[in-house]
Amino acid sequence: MINLENRSSQFALQLKEISKIYPGPPIVQALSDISMSVNHGELLGIIGSSGSGKTTLLHIMGTLSVPSSGSILIDGRNVVGMSDKQLSGVRSQQIGFVFQEFFLLPGFSALENVANGLLYSGIPLDERRERSFEMLGRVALEHRANHLPNELSGGEQQRVAVARALVHNPSFVLADEPTGNLDSENTASLMELFTKLNEDGTTVILITHDLEVAESARRKITLRDGRVYSDLSR
Amino acid sequence: MDHSTSDKFTELHSKMNLRDIFSVGSSGLRTRRVRAALSVTGITIGIAALVGILGLSQSGSADLLKDLDALGTNLLTVQAGDGFRSQEATLSLDATAMIDRIGPVYQVSATTKITGGVFLNDLIQDGRTKGITIVAADLNLLSAQRGSLKSGKFLDEMTSQFPFVVLGSVAAERLGIRNTSGDQKVWLKEKWFMVIGIMEPLPLAADLDRSAIIGYPAADKFLGLDEPPEVIYVRAYPEHIYDVRSVMPATVNPENPEEVQVGRASDVLEARIAASDTFLNLFVGLGAVALLVGTIGIANVMVIAVIERRNEIGLRRALGATKFHIASQFLTESLLLSVLGGITGVAVGMSVTATYAISQDWSIVIPVYVVVGGILCSILIGGIAGFYPAMRAANMSPTEALRTK
Repeated sequence: MINLENRSSQFALQLKEISKIYPGPPIVQALSDISMSVNHGELLGIIGSSGSGKTTLLHIMGTLSVPSSGSILIDGRNVVGMSDKQLSGVRSQQIGFVFQEFFLLPGFSALENVANGLLYSGIPLDERRERSFEMLGRVALEHRANHLPNELSGGEQQRVAVARALVHNPSFVLADEPTGNLDSENTASLMELFTKLNEDGTTVILITHDLEVAESARRKITLRDGRVYSDLSR
Repeated sequence: MDHSTSDKFTELHSKMNLRDIFSVGSSGLRTRRVRAALSVTGITIGIAALVGILGLSQSGSADLLKDLDALGTNLLTVQAGDGFRSQEATLSLDATAMIDRIGPVYQVSATTKITGGVFLNDLIQDGRTKGITIVAADLNLLSAQRGSLKSGKFLDEMTSQFPFVVLGSVAAERLGIRNTSGDQKVWLKEKWFMVIGIMEPLPLAADLDRSAIIGYPAADKFLGLDEPPEVIYVRAYPEHIYDVRSVMPATVNPENPEEVQVGRASDVLEARIAASDTFLNLFVGLGAVALLVGTIGIANVMVIAVIERRNEIGLRRALGATKFHIASQFLTESLLLSVLGGITGVAVGMSVTATYAISQDWSIVIPVYVVVGGILCSILIGGIAGFYPAMRAANMSPTEALRTK
């Protein structure tokens, strides 16, 4: 269960007038003047077709890439201007990632893969194991803790990845097309999991081009040509 | 921009302890065992070659040096050489006495070759001498050579007067005489001589190993010898050996000093050590080339690993790894590969040395610097081979690394 009292700001994430220009040639303006605030406990869907700037926005939100201008506040802390090392620190404690390709490390058990989410946080090994096992329980995979990724189904692999993204109790989880490699049955079950985790307090930012997937989000932001086209809440 | 907000927060750090760095660094080896084993083998071969070669050469020359120490480097051989005159040069009859008058000389032992064969019986007369030479010698020859007897005793005041003979090690073997028990006689220049002693090999005068040695009085009495000495062995105090050597020709033959040849018996042994050093350099060179190839092999494997594991690098960066963490992961992997190779190489090299030294009856000498050097060398190799791939991995942009196409 996420403890909201630990949070320093009412917002998990705030973007203020973010632009991203790739110097090229040719010069590409990937994002123009994007502002948005994500509350703690929100389930936000960011929808856009290919080329709309979704991936660039995800990278900037995840501090994997720096904007050309604008500011980003993660849990109230401005991360623009931080060094690469400081940004790594922010990622290790405040951001969780779920990728379309799962990116589980082969040769590591499900438990070890989840524990990798705590590897760079300075937590002792025993505690990492304990918390990871607990987290596997929350995605209903305790019984698969010692299985290798190639022994798990696609849906199970993605649930391990979700557990890895959540194990360090981040301010928000960025999920990049998390259902892109799943069949419809596993897609439904993963979305159910996200909904449940969100109900338990996890802030989830879902980036997808699949409108059906985005349906489970209460708030939907549509990107078009690097700008916010609409921002609708149910 | 609003930078002030960050001040009220404690800084967030990515942290990783040494144990985790080691564990993450070794994960690449655990999941790709065959490839790891193959790249380890390259370093193993190189280090094993170097350790083995240095160990063997040290064990071998330790053996030669031990011989040299025991035999001394102060034995000179004096013999007549080719002069400018047309007739054959010889030493004078009183050469031994003259050499004895040189101050630092403390032992002089003359020998003279006598033509004729040595046979087990008097029935073989076809000139098949088996390469055994008859030599008349002074009684102190064995002590001047620092030799020893395999069996029996050497000539003394008494036995040198009579038809008694001492055989060199090779001569005894060729005649099939193993010991001096019983009345073993040989047919020596058509006279019966009694064998009273067999010598161990003499490393400083290998030609004496093929000789049958009799006393000068006996040679004079029974074989009618009246020749001057042919080879004179001279022991002088080691610190004066060069002075003695330089005055030797003029002392022995004041009129034609150029007809006197002076050599140092131990030069042969020293030449053998020098020759083994030449081979050593060649093999050390080959070992170094093997190591270089091994290093390139590891660097190659690491570069491939970085390319193959691009996504893993991206994932780790997303999980909070710093550039330093990524660099240390790949550097650790490279170091583990090379140090594993170094340790197995040292072990293989040492066992090869030990096995060969035992088979050659040498003492096993494996210098500490070779063992320590082998390990240090492998650490250095790991660092060199891993540096570029580690930097490349660390400087990969996270967004680039996460790309799947």
